[in-house]
Order: sequence, then structure tokens, then C-alpha cells
Amino acid sequence: MRTIILILSFACLFISCSKEEEYTEINKSIDFQVPVNFPVLAQDIEHNWPTEKGFELGRKLFYDGRLSADNTISCSFCHEQASAFTHHGHDFSHGINDLVGVRNAPAVQNMAFQSEYFYDGASNSIEMLSIAPIHNPVEMNETLENVVLKLKQDPEYIRLFGVAFDNGEVSSGNVLKALGQFMTMMVSANSRYDKHVRNEPGGDFSQQEQYGMELFQQNCTVCHKTDLFTDSAFRNNGLPPNPNLNDLGRETVTGFAADRHKFKVPSLRNVELTAPYMHDGRFGSLQSVLNFYSSGLVDSATLDEELKHEGVLGIPLTQEEKEALIAFLKTLTDEEYINNSMFYYQT
Amino acid sequence: MKFQLKNTIAVLAFTTLFVSCSNDDDSSSVVEGTTGDVELYFDNGVAGDALILGNTYTNSNNESLTINRLNYIVSNIVLIKEDGTEFTYPKEESYFVISEEGDLLTVHLEGVPAGDYTKVKFGIGVDEQRYLQGESEQQSFWDLAAQYNLTWTWSTGYRFINFEGTYTSPAVEGEKTFQVHQGSNSAIDNYREVTLTLPTTARVREDEMPNIHLKTDANVILDGVNKIKLADNINEAQTGTAIMGGENLISIAENTLQMFAVDHVHNGSHTGHGE
Repeated sequence: MRTIILILSFACLFISCSKEEEYTEINKSIDFQVPVNFPVLAQDIEHNWPTEKGFELGRKLFYDGRLSADNTISCSFCHEQASAFTHHGHDFSHGINDLVGVRNAPAVQNMAFQSEYFYDGASNSIEMLSIAPIHNPVEMNETLENVVLKLKQDPEYIRLFGVAFDNGEVSSGNVLKALGQFMTMMVSANSRYDKHVRNEPGGDFSQQEQYGMELFQQNCTVCHKTDLFTDSAFRNNGLPPNPNLNDLGRETVTGFAADRHKFKVPSLRNVELTAPYMHDGRFGSLQSVLNFYSSGLVDSATLDEELKHEGVLGIPLTQEEKEALIAFLKTLTDEEYINNSMFYYQT
Repeated sequence: MKFQLKNTIAVLAFTTLFVSCSNDDDSSSVVEGTTGDVELYFDNGVAGDALILGNTYTNSNNESLTINRLNYIVSNIVLIKEDGTEFTYPKEESYFVISEEGDLLTVHLEGVPAGDYTKVKFGIGVDEQRYLQGESEQQSFWDLAAQYNLTWTWSTGYRFINFEGTYTSPAVEGEKTFQVHQGSNSAIDNYREVTLTLPTTARVREDEMPNIHLKTDANVILDGVNKIKLADNINEAQTGTAIMGGENLISIAENTLQMFAVDHVHNGSHTGHGE
């Protein structure tokens, strides 16, 4: 009996294989799941639901230097998987012609759960956001229209766009869609912390980590909310502005003085891997970050209310508490995410 | 007596004209289920004068603007009948660039149900809903908008209006540049819609294409219900004024509600401005 089933299933496999060959390639919708401990999606992905081919095309584009003016800088240049898609060891990333930006490359993860992108909210759409780095003169310095012209020269891309999208066109819209699908799939939700809160095997915490989590919940979750560890809000955390950069933060986008020096609250997922820290990458370690929150804040007109309690700025912490917090933060490292071959460059 | 006769003739002639007009109407009664085309012609001007790029216009803020660019996006067009029934042009095709430098001044609509329309409604810019649906849902509108300098890339989005040139003002020394880029950002939705009454009914028939002739007044962008002085917004280097964010965009959004008016409607089979 078993043998018959085996033979039958083999036969099915074979038939479906030959069918695929007959119709060349078939695109299938991906079964995208929201992790049970996550909040609801912040982006409407219904009209750009990830498909296998759309995702693969997005991945290829993510690793393709042709998205930059001189064909050398790909998205992956500043967003490396091993560092949770940040630029390890760089406070500011060097882009095209070795020009240097003014902000530290943010992690690319759980993108469809976010309502705002970049430190200043320069985009609020998972599809449109790729326009910013592609056009930024110090990042890729290219135009979307020209990227399309270049990709149209490549028969492989013509084929891939043909399979991935109903209209089959190599177009600026489909470039953004494919990248959007790739980023939609970039979900980090399998850290030890996740297993801990979901009562799954491998989720054990040490006493110190448990203490760190309690401290975190008491002191940090106002801004680093939910299991995304961000509320997607723009806040001034009291970081002394760097006069050489004069980065106005959120004000750059909105033009409102009330937004001066406000930056998006970053997620803390994989924070162990995303050094250096802060929008300008000024801190090299989590210890320095906590030293800052404990005693380094400066007051200003837009300092966040949450960081001012009865005249005391910041979050006073003992060294023991800092160490416990760091131990907890390291439980947010998601080895599965940074080693997931689904996101690897594929030739 | 002679005078009276003349009057009578005039009245008669007028009546004939009127009768023949209504005869026209009768001869082209609406055939249910048929469609026709409609054109919207945007006649760009400045406070009653024609807009000629490179010319200088003085506004009530006592600033003289030499206008070098006026490009904008109109969208989500709706035609409304006397009884209030609306025809919404298919959203996915309802985004248009109007450009003085590009001589792109006409919006051509197809497949409009035959009927007599008395109002037109449209948006200035790109609405948040469509924006958030992504570029492909905007039918590659990005490429067209980019061609006419109507895209933002540092903050991803569309410029609803791109109004540029140079200016002089008693408050500043010499000639300065100005750039007014109206648009939304992730904090504020500056998309606005206007509903305009047509002075004459626009008759859409299978063989009749009305041309709705609109007058655009670029002056109200800065000199409307809200007054925005370019000199008050000059940059630190004192080289020019760039208005691209903040409260000014909210003021401009309100001003643009008065930016458009329908001047007249051409009805008939050979209408239009020869575009």
C-alpha cells in the first residue's frame, strides 16, 4: 500500500513537473503569515501580495548594482543580511563615488508592519520608499526611469518581469512592486525572545535576561512598543545635535519647527547586530547607548515628554540594570533571519 | 415706430437664435448607453493676464514674480449632471499633468456617458489613497510626472504644483529665485478637490465633444485668501526662497481652492482649441 502511495505521489510530482515545463514558469502567491505575537500589518499589501516570482525578482533587484548611477551600489551594499540588513561598522554609509551620507543605515526587517520609513519619515509606503535611496545623490544617485531603461537591456530581466507580473512589463511601477514584495517577506520573528513569549522550545531566559525584560517593560516600552519594538513615532530623545551635520530630522520632511531633531523610534530587533547606534551612528556599543539614556540627554524645546520626569532627564540606571537590559536586548537576535537563505543573493 | 420695428426684429432674431439653439438640443438628445469624449482645457493665467513664461507679474504682496515654470497635477475627475448624478472617470486613468512649458494643457476624457453636465469636480495633486497603493497602481504616472518635474525623491511623493522663477521684493536686495513645490508628505495630506459650476451645460454625445475651458490663476498660489511673501521665507544664504513644507503648504492648499474657474464651454462636434 505504502509503495503504491509513494509511486502515485511520485507520478503526481512528475506530472506537475512536466506541466511546469510545458507552460515554462508559473507564478504562485506566497502564503504570507503574520507572526502571532505581532500587531496587524501597517501596510496594505493586498494589491501587491507577494508571489514567488515577484519576491525572487525583488531579491535580484535588491542585490543589483544597476539600481545606482554607476552600476556599483546595490541596496545590499548598505543593508547586509549578517547585520540584520544594516551597514556594519559604518556610522554613515558611503554610497556612490565614496560620498558619505548623514545617517546610519537602518535595519530592513518587518517592513510591512511599519507605517513610516527612514529616520525622518521620508516615505510612508512600502512600495514608494525605494525611490528615496535610488535618487539620493550620496546613495545611488540614479533615477527610477533610468533604472528601467537599463533593465530593459537585459533579456533575463525581461523574462523575470514577464513571469512576475500580469502586465509583464519592465516598468518603474513593477520595479517598486518587486522590491516591495521582497521587503514584505523580510520578517524577523524567531528570536529567543519570540520563542519565550510564544512559549516555544528554545525560549528559555536566564535570570538576568528575565530581569532585563522587566526593566525594559518598565522603562522602554512607551516608545519601543509591541513586539515590533517601535511605535513608528518621531521623537527627540535628547541626543545632543551634532553641529557638523545639523540634521533637523523629521522637520526636514514636514517643515514644522515642532519636529526639529525628532527621529523615528527604531525597532530594537537584532539590535545586537546593528551597531553603531542612533540616527548618526554615534554610539559603538549598547553600553554607550544606555549610558546616554541614563545621563547624557540634553533638554530642548522638542525633547520627548516621556524622557522628562519631575525635572530628571532620561532613564536613570545602575550598571547592574544596564547589563541586565543588554542581556535582554541580545535575546532579540534572530539567527534564523540573518541566516535565512531565502534572502541570499542567488546567481 | 422705426425704432420699435428694429427692436422687434432684434427680438425676433434673438428668438430665432434661441429657438435654433433649443432645436440643436433637440436634435442631439441623449441616446442611452452611448458615450462621448470630453476635453478640459487649462488656460494658465496670472490675475486676469495670460501666463507667458519669462514675464513678470506683480502681486498684492508687492512682490514681482518672473514665472519660469507652472506645472501641476489634476486628478480624479468627476462630471456632475443637473440632478446631481455623478460620473467618476475611472480612477486608474484619472491622473493628468498640466504643463505650461510642455504645452500640455488639455485633459482628454473618453467613454463619458452621453448627457448634459453642469459641474466638474477634480483634485489638485495625488490623493493619499492612491499614493499608498503604490506606483504601479498609479499606472506608471511617476514616469510622466518625473518628466515634468512633478516628483519628490528625498521625501517620496508627487509635487502637486511646481511653480518656479525669480522675484524681486522691497524687502530683499536684488533678484532672488523662488521655488514653490506644493505636495503632501507623511505628516500632512495637502490634496484638495474643487467643484466648479459650468456657465453653460456641457453636452456629451457620441458625436459631440464639449470642451470645458478653464482659467487657472497662478497668482492665488501665493496671493490668495492666504498671503505668502516670498521675502519672508528667504533662505539663510539670502539667495532664494524654497517653499516645500510646513504651514505654507497648508496655506497654499487653501489658496488653490480658488485657483480654477470654468470660463466657458464649447459645445458641438468641432470644438476645442485646435489641440
